[in-house]
Amino acid sequence: MINRNEALSLLKDGLKGSTADQTELVLIGEDMSLTRFSESQIHDNIFRAENTLYVRAIKEKRIGITSTTDLTPKRVAGTVADACKITSLVPADEKFVSLPAPAAVEKVTTYYPTTADFSPLQRAKAVQIIVTEANRNKLEAAGAFETTAETLAIVSSLGVEHFYTGTTAELSLTLSGAKENSGWARGYHRNVEKIDIAALAARAADKGTRSINPIAIDSGEYTAILEPAAVGQLLLFLGFMGFGAKTLTQRRSFMAGRIGEQITGTNITITEEPLHPQIRGIPFDYEGVPRRQVPLIEKGIARGVVYDSYYAALAGVESTGHALPPANRFGPYPKHMVMEAGKYSLEEMVKSVDRGVYITHFWYINFLNPMRTMVTGTTRDGTFLIENGEITRPIHNMRISPSILETFSNAAMISKTRELYPQYSVVMLVPALKVNGFSLEKIEES
Amino acid sequence: MTKELPLIADLILMRAQSRCQYADFRFEEIASERIATASQQVEPIEKSLSAGYAVRVLKDGAWGFAASCRFDLNEYERIVDTAINIAEASAHVSGMPVKLAPEAVYREKYQTSFQTDPFALSLKEKLDLLLYWEELIAKNQGITFSSTFLDFRKTTKFFRSTEGSEIEQLLMQTGAGINCGIAAGHRQRFERSFPSSSGQYVTGGYEVIPTFGIEDNIERIAAEAVALQSAKECPSAETTIILSPDMASLQIHESIGHPLELDRVFGAERNFSGASFATPDKLGKLKYGSDIIDVFADTSYPGGLATYGFDDEGVRAGRRPLIKEGVLVDYLSSRETAHRIGKPSTGAARADGWGNMPICRITNVLLEATGQRFKDMLAEVDDGIYLETIRSWSIDDNRENFQMGTEVGWEIKSGKLGEMIKAPAYSGNTVTFWNSCDSTGSRDEWVLWGTPNCGKGQPGQNARTAQGSAYLRFRNVKVGR
Repeated sequence: MINRNEALSLLKDGLKGSTADQTELVLIGEDMSLTRFSESQIHDNIFRAENTLYVRAIKEKRIGITSTTDLTPKRVAGTVADACKITSLVPADEKFVSLPAPAAVEKVTTYYPTTADFSPLQRAKAVQIIVTEANRNKLEAAGAFETTAETLAIVSSLGVEHFYTGTTAELSLTLSGAKENSGWARGYHRNVEKIDIAALAARAADKGTRSINPIAIDSGEYTAILEPAAVGQLLLFLGFMGFGAKTLTQRRSFMAGRIGEQITGTNITITEEPLHPQIRGIPFDYEGVPRRQVPLIEKGIARGVVYDSYYAALAGVESTGHALPPANRFGPYPKHMVMEAGKYSLEEMVKSVDRGVYITHFWYINFLNPMRTMVTGTTRDGTFLIENGEITRPIHNMRISPSILETFSNAAMISKTRELYPQYSVVMLVPALKVNGFSLEKIEES
Repeated sequence: MTKELPLIADLILMRAQSRCQYADFRFEEIASERIATASQQVEPIEKSLSAGYAVRVLKDGAWGFAASCRFDLNEYERIVDTAINIAEASAHVSGMPVKLAPEAVYREKYQTSFQTDPFALSLKEKLDLLLYWEELIAKNQGITFSSTFLDFRKTTKFFRSTEGSEIEQLLMQTGAGINCGIAAGHRQRFERSFPSSSGQYVTGGYEVIPTFGIEDNIERIAAEAVALQSAKECPSAETTIILSPDMASLQIHESIGHPLELDRVFGAERNFSGASFATPDKLGKLKYGSDIIDVFADTSYPGGLATYGFDDEGVRAGRRPLIKEGVLVDYLSSRETAHRIGKPSTGAARADGWGNMPICRITNVLLEATGQRFKDMLAEVDDGIYLETIRSWSIDDNRENFQMGTEVGWEIKSGKLGEMIKAPAYSGNTVTFWNSCDSTGSRDEWVLWGTPNCGKGQPGQNARTAQGSAYLRFRNVKVGR
């Protein structure tokens, strides 16, 4: 891993070669280790050390962006020169105002040597625990155990200078059998020692054994209990569809024209909380702006979206510190969404359902109509029938095509416990929901 | 760097050879450039260079893999030792030892053909083209947003294995496309894209762009975007559908390509992108589609995003049948997975750049066209829907149940196209669906489509794939909104 001094020296040296009005250098480093297993044995097992340098140069509002993985002084200088050269070839972006000014950021400790030094053998031993649990339950184990040490360093000609290093660990597993049965669980923490491997294996095994020989139920509207992972998957797509300033500015967001309006039930509050103690995100964004807490939906009312410096200037507001790496096409995006907890235990929520469906998580969610927050996907790895307040029988996976806002509006109960759900470099803290009138469609069988 | 690669490979493989059953060294350098506009405004230009190398070792019947973008002696040694250390850890969880299907040894150089290197052209020339397309779009009344893009990628690869193969490859790929539409009110948006929703991508240089026909189609696409505002909703029905070649390409990708990735079939993706119904016990037996369905994996077919000389474990490109007269006959395989079914690899082991381990990926998957032209296909339909341009897709974790949506559709009434339909969708079961195909279209309307963004694996690996198809017709398909 590149250290603080090496990273900042490299960026400052690179900055000296710029001929642009404003220049920013961003270094993203990652040492990633990953063990994948299936058929109860390890099949992929990798280590990757990667550093990527991004250069953004601006001259008379003309913007050039380049990147390289080669950090030799010659190539760094060449990458800076290339970005400057692009500025002489492209038209000006009159909407561009300035790179951000320097600002102090909170110190956050998220680097755990236990995670950074977690060895291939330690990962293999974890897999062995999972395989043993699978064997004990006559199931087959598949999954992935990833530990990562990451760095982010930023230097700009305006005086921004930040360095961050942290670690993450993530274990996901599926224990399945030959009778259409499977169970899934996922754990995430910055400290790998906090991931309870045995508990996750037991959770997946429980669902894997309870889902043998699922039955078919008719298409229709059901009361559904969505586990936190299922809620997280819907929230992730809701974020894609409208919690960023680019989609709002281009009126592609469901939030467009609706800020201040009631868009879900009053029991739904969603906040972008980068420094939430359970999430502990990087304290600054990819422009070096401190990441702020941003209310997105508050008691059902649309409150706002997240900004980077470009879209903040367009809107006449301050950046909330949500820039993604340079040259992304998505614009600013919330990477740490938190849904407010309710007051019920999961058991109380299940007990309150006369007839309904219990959903572990979803698969292949994709957009149908982003302006109406409509998506489609299927249930996966543990879908059950609830009868008279009890989970009784496994059911076949079913297709969903909901409006996410309507789903959240129909949340009748919210769990008091929440779980971290990571996906696509977004980490969310989400509860389970009891949703009324959730449409499920029977899948055609072969 | 290229001159030093044989020496680096020597250093690395010599260190690995005595401690492993097998090892390979793979270097990749990817230069890419993406130029785009949004509503006549030039987006920030993206120009990137990613270069690094990987060592893959097989020890005690298990894989170890390590990769880095740092080029120095200490790092080479660290990466080899790390890969071996990982292989030893992999073997700790005992299971079936990895064995590789045999493959000949090659010492060759390969390059995809191209005439004009897009990286050698001035940025101004490329920007002028996009701004011209924007100008053509802007001439159409009612359009409120638009976008255009050009995307170029040049990949240099060097592969050497302890079996003796040494392969150098240069692959050039070009993509382009446009999109335009109308934002009508807060919750309505109507858009059309061309050549498809993510443009068109092929192997080739700058010379391929005029062949996409973008300029000739802008007026039609813009008019259709405007017309979508008053188009009717798709009825819920079971009916005959005809898919445009681009939509057929997605259907092939999702419901033939992915289910036939042999690592997925064996469960490698069970925890992530799912399994497959097309298990090896069905090989040679499963009636995957109707008798007219013939599908090949052809990495030697010119112009595809998976057109190459060799895959990322040194298997020579070629044409291999996957489905013959509707029956499943082979898979998209790697040497490891092919060995398990007693067949040679179909050359589908591909890695996303230097930093990932090769896994089974969709390559160029081609559905043979043996039917009639679109107008003749249409003439045989009394009542149905014609669907065009990819909009949305989703398929279950066993690749059996899918739901697809297109940007636009048209009613088919008495053999002719009728009223426009907005955002239609269709769904079905993979095997039932392919068995309901009663026309595979005409060879002279067959198109090879590039998919630049296929996702699979952990960590997520992006692959560039291609699917070839003409218009396809299916009977008794469920359609709706």
